[in-house]
Amino acid sequence: MLANDLAILTPEILLAIYAMLALIAIVYTGKDAMARLSLWMTSGVFIGLAAWIGLSGQGTNIAFDGMFVDDAFSRFAKVTILLSAAAVLLMSQDYMERRDLLRFEYPLLIALAAVGMMVMVSAGDLMALYMGLELQSLALYVVASLRRDNLKSTEAGLKYFVLGALSSGLLLYGASLTYGYAGTTLFSGIIEAASGDGPMSLGLVFGLVFLSAGLAFKVSAAPFHMWTPDVYEGSPTPVTAFFATAPKVAAMCLFARVVHDAFGGSVGDWQQIVAFLAVISMFLGAIAAIGQTNIKRLMAYSSIAHMGFALMGLAAGTALGVQAMLIYMAIYVTMNIGTFAFILSMEKEGQPVTEIAALNSFAKREPLQALAVLVLMFSLAGVPPMVGFFGKYGVLIAAVDAGLSWLAIAGVIASVIGAFYYLRIVYYMYFGDDRDAVDYKASPVLWGMLVASAAIMVIGVLNFFGIEAPAAQAAAALVN
Amino acid sequence: MSLFLIVALPFVGSLLPGLMNSAGRNACAGVTFMITLTALVGLLTNLPAVLAGEVVQTGVTWLPDLGLNVTLMLDGLGFFFACLILGIGLLIITYGRFYLSRKDNMGEFFTYLLLFQGAMVGIVLSDNILLLIVFWELTSLSSFLLIGYWKHLPEGRQGARMALTVTGMGGLALIGGALILGNIAGSYDLSVILQNREAIQASPMYLPALILILLGCFTKSAQFPFHFWLPHAMAAPTPVSAYLHSATMVKAGIFLMARLWPVLSGTPEWFVIVTTAGLITMVLGAVIALFKHDLKSLLAFSTVSHLGLITMLLGTGTAFGAMAAMFHILNHATFKAALFMSAGIIDHEAHTRDIRRLGGLRKLMPVTFVIATLAALSMAGIPFLNGFLSKEMMLEEAERTVLFSSPYLVPALATFGSLFSAAYCFRLIGHTFFGPVRDDYPATPHDPPVGMWGPPALLVVIVVAIGVAPFLAEPFIKTVTASVLGDAAEVPKNYFKIWHGFVPALFMSIIAVVGGLIVMAIYKPLQAAWDATPRPEAKTIFEAVIASAVALAKALTHPLHNGAFTRYAAIFAITVIAISYHAWTTGTVGAPTRAVQPAGVVEIAGWALLVTATLGMVVLHRHRLLSLILIGIVGLMVSVGFVVFSAPDLAMTQLTVEVVTIILLLLALNFLPNRTPVESPVLMRMRDAGIAIVGGLATFALAFHYMLRDTVAPSISEFHIANSYKGGGGTNMVNVILVDFRGFDTYGEIIVLGIAALLIFALTEALLNGPVRARLLNRLPDQPRAGDMHPMMMVVMTRVIMPLVMLVGFYIFLRGHNEPGGGFIAGLVVSIGFVMQYMASGFAWTSSRLRYPYHGVIGAGVLVAGLTGIGSWFFAKPFLTSDFTYVRIPPFNEFELATAALFDVGVFLAVVGAVMLSLESFSRLARRAHVEDPEHPMDINPSRDDAPKAEA
Repeated sequence: MLANDLAILTPEILLAIYAMLALIAIVYTGKDAMARLSLWMTSGVFIGLAAWIGLSGQGTNIAFDGMFVDDAFSRFAKVTILLSAAAVLLMSQDYMERRDLLRFEYPLLIALAAVGMMVMVSAGDLMALYMGLELQSLALYVVASLRRDNLKSTEAGLKYFVLGALSSGLLLYGASLTYGYAGTTLFSGIIEAASGDGPMSLGLVFGLVFLSAGLAFKVSAAPFHMWTPDVYEGSPTPVTAFFATAPKVAAMCLFARVVHDAFGGSVGDWQQIVAFLAVISMFLGAIAAIGQTNIKRLMAYSSIAHMGFALMGLAAGTALGVQAMLIYMAIYVTMNIGTFAFILSMEKEGQPVTEIAALNSFAKREPLQALAVLVLMFSLAGVPPMVGFFGKYGVLIAAVDAGLSWLAIAGVIASVIGAFYYLRIVYYMYFGDDRDAVDYKASPVLWGMLVASAAIMVIGVLNFFGIEAPAAQAAAALVN
Repeated sequence: MSLFLIVALPFVGSLLPGLMNSAGRNACAGVTFMITLTALVGLLTNLPAVLAGEVVQTGVTWLPDLGLNVTLMLDGLGFFFACLILGIGLLIITYGRFYLSRKDNMGEFFTYLLLFQGAMVGIVLSDNILLLIVFWELTSLSSFLLIGYWKHLPEGRQGARMALTVTGMGGLALIGGALILGNIAGSYDLSVILQNREAIQASPMYLPALILILLGCFTKSAQFPFHFWLPHAMAAPTPVSAYLHSATMVKAGIFLMARLWPVLSGTPEWFVIVTTAGLITMVLGAVIALFKHDLKSLLAFSTVSHLGLITMLLGTGTAFGAMAAMFHILNHATFKAALFMSAGIIDHEAHTRDIRRLGGLRKLMPVTFVIATLAALSMAGIPFLNGFLSKEMMLEEAERTVLFSSPYLVPALATFGSLFSAAYCFRLIGHTFFGPVRDDYPATPHDPPVGMWGPPALLVVIVVAIGVAPFLAEPFIKTVTASVLGDAAEVPKNYFKIWHGFVPALFMSIIAVVGGLIVMAIYKPLQAAWDATPRPEAKTIFEAVIASAVALAKALTHPLHNGAFTRYAAIFAITVIAISYHAWTTGTVGAPTRAVQPAGVVEIAGWALLVTATLGMVVLHRHRLLSLILIGIVGLMVSVGFVVFSAPDLAMTQLTVEVVTIILLLLALNFLPNRTPVESPVLMRMRDAGIAIVGGLATFALAFHYMLRDTVAPSISEFHIANSYKGGGGTNMVNVILVDFRGFDTYGEIIVLGIAALLIFALTEALLNGPVRARLLNRLPDQPRAGDMHPMMMVVMTRVIMPLVMLVGFYIFLRGHNEPGGGFIAGLVVSIGFVMQYMASGFAWTSSRLRYPYHGVIGAGVLVAGLTGIGSWFFAKPFLTSDFTYVRIPPFNEFELATAALFDVGVFLAVVGAVMLSLESFSRLARRAHVEDPEHPMDINPSRDDAPKAEA
């Protein structure tokens, strides 16, 4: 029994053991001198695990009496999480090394966060959910303030921590109410209690509301997004890149799991919450980004808006919606990796630059990179024929099919507003004047990531690299 | 040729010019030409089928889940536009080869051009509306690259930005419209959508769909109020302007309106929106064009005006209007492309496009003069040129159109627009070619090589041919019209002829031409008046709109994200309260199932104390010591609460924890100022108080609600009641839960406790090794120290009490399994005993008597607990399975031995170690501040030689 359970958890266990052993080993040997090694090793482990999970996983396996679920949905999420985390790690090396930020614990903290995220997306029980969530969050609180001697970075970490604690508290309150009125913390039990005859009991409703609020914080959906701009701006850029990718996928998938696995029988109850979050996020993200001059802050609002779109897929409450959401997240992560690879290479006189105005007439000096960024920006804005459009399109279709036309229309309007600031970046690159030009120093890794992600945005229109089918399987595994 | 191939050819071919860049200019242009020609020939092979009224269709599935299929169709409309795109494309390629200078990167130019061409062909051949949108946006992208091709022109920047912003946003709106349309029709295939006229027009979503789609069309085709971007995009090289901004891209919006004409037109909404927009655009464009000095600017506004004309015709919703629109598209494409190319020639040869610096070119550039004049006269609507025919049809249609219940509005405005249209055409000819030859041209103008004048000349031949023999175009235009109309209407029977008799349209036409001549005659004063009139400049308005949008966004965002944590928390709290309120009001609240219990005096008093202390705490929180005391009261009341509700274990735990934490906090307070600074203004505190009160009330309401109702699930207490003695061998359930049922959790907790203590130790250690050390050493106490730091009474008392405390601890520990108590509480009690020694006699004295380091104590505790757990493995039980037995050692009564007790020892040790280690860490900080450590356990040395040395 136990051996069977543990076998299902092997990837998580291996990663956790790797993180702890590597931590101890490095502390007692080279410390920061081993940082680069630890970074490459960690990304290697991530990629290896992703390949393993993606290629070998089959069917739905349940461990620990349902506390942990390994199904197509969780595998899809895990592969996305691990690959994006590996990509972000590889991107950070050059940047952090040159700014003397590369500490050996950074990759290992990311590894621990990854363990947390893997548990999150596999959670079949409120306890597993919370354990995974907190493991991830604790690691993230630390990496947010990685630049300990920088006021902004520490402030970012502190704000994130305090607000995160608040949201965790709310989530726990919701979990305990749910438990009180369902009699179990297992999702499979909650769904039975929730989908009985008549309306859901008020206790469960409140449990759902508070759980959603806590989860909305993690996906940085408005109005629980307040931490996002400050943390994105304050954290070192590679960390920001990480925040914008893997944890978002994890939180979004966890959200999907909770609403479908635990409250799948009462779609109407959570649909309005999720739709509300989606609308507010899309509009806030789009409108607030217009006034930004710092590209990291801008990406923060952009990510809020994108989460709004992903939530729109979730709000549909159908398998199609979940599929659209998964594809959306995969595309979103790819775009963000490319964009951050570019942001990481922006510098002037050796100092990182994050002002948008610094992009002036970038196209004249680096035509190929500018073209890649242009493709990414168009994709982020959701302009066809870039892949980003198909992501948006999928969630819009899902919303319309689920009878949420008003939500789809709101989404379109928000994306029209949002297009403005992505196009503004393109405008600066192609037509800005020559003053205050930024230097562009990309390591081969960054260069490769930027071009690769732009190429994916173009070539991907052929068949999405076939991720549609796994996403459909994943969605089918979750919604039934 | 297969439709796929026709669409794919330009895309695939677009790689070639870029790759062949080094092979020379002619090779680049040649290969581009051949690709386009092949596509055109391939298209023409489908001509028989199209003329026969067939619709050629082909398709493959692409992303079927999303309703996306690559389906192409070719009908009259598509054929017409594809012909225009490819045919004019050929001319532009030839022209561009000679227009671009040696410095320009020709391969890049032709690559973009082919990309654009492919996208355009894709639009007009798409059967799937989503595929159409994909191509649609691809034209935005490639046109952006083309406009940006000459990056060195500063005036191009604003134009490109506007073009990108306006058409990009319009395209996104179009997506929304297409989605709704597809949703109503149940398919995204145009061939299906076009069959669903009734369903679409009856749908409540018709209006939103219409508005979104028209937004896309109007922005693309530069219709009022989005007309402003087109003239500013003219900074592009002339071949680009000629291709994109006259013949093809700007017609994409028109094309879509024509494509969806059968399903969207005919409703009052369509009529009012489209006709009005078209009419305004037509008049506005014509009037502005007259006063433009830049040749290309003039042509750009004239394009805007003509697009308005076509839009208006489509807006009327009649079959005749649609036919006139199609005819005018053809005519406009021919004469306007010719004019653009002529303007380019003039710019190329004379190095200026400013009409004020030109004039007299008739003699210097005779060929260009003939071409441009014929084209311009056609545009002015002079008979025997094709522009006349379609303008005549337009006026005829206008004459019948009743807008806003006025039969005169449309005809009058149409005539007015035509008048200005004629006027600017005359101005174009008169001021550029006529007049005296000047001697101050920036360069010497002469006719260009045939490669440059050939393409416009060819177009002018068509202009004249259709103008003289309209029946040549008639069958073709009628085929096209038939495919526009679909099943919605019959193709009108009217014949295309030059002479219709004395119909109103003819008079309107005459008024326009004569009026145009008059306007030309009084041009100078008019221009002066125009220059003197203040008028809104669309560009400035656009800039202002953008600026105010940015300002608005900032005004909205900055107060929201001002960086203040309190604001974030406030928003968080308000949202949660609001959502909860919503859940509360919309949820179903059942009747209470429990009665409210009566409250006794004690409970009310306790509650009042608790609330008062909390309130006092909030009010007095700046005074640190006071707030610590108030926290103490709160803690005390909570433990009393546990007592009242019969939870002695919790009460004891709470009480001891209170004591320990207060002592630790007191130590920490020693290093902090007495009061915290005031940081928030009164108003903000009022706001926060309001939120807090509402939040508190909400929580109270929720809790009260739940207390009055039974939970759905049976309480887990029953399981513990049933099993705690049977399975765990203890009657104190709390203790059994801690050490048995949830032993694993407890094990984890003591480890966490230990780590926390170690962390405190590590932090203070790091502090003491850092720069803080010096500050601590030099620190002067901010308050006078007590004279007797180690009072004798206290020292004696603590010494006497200590064995008692130990005994109590031991007792509590032992009884834990069956009575309130246990390792945790015992650990705290014993710790308090030790702490008292520190307090009484100081750190140095006490720690010098300390035999075991606290790290070790913690470790020992964890080890003991862990080993206990592992012990069960030897009996083939899972980790931490407990067992118990009863033994009897005479002379005692029978008593119980449980492995859980051993585990409890671990808990006990870990707690003692953790508490003492944290205390030690804090006091290490404090010790640095002291100048010296006292020698004795108390202020008065009891063993001193009491006899004062007299007179010493």
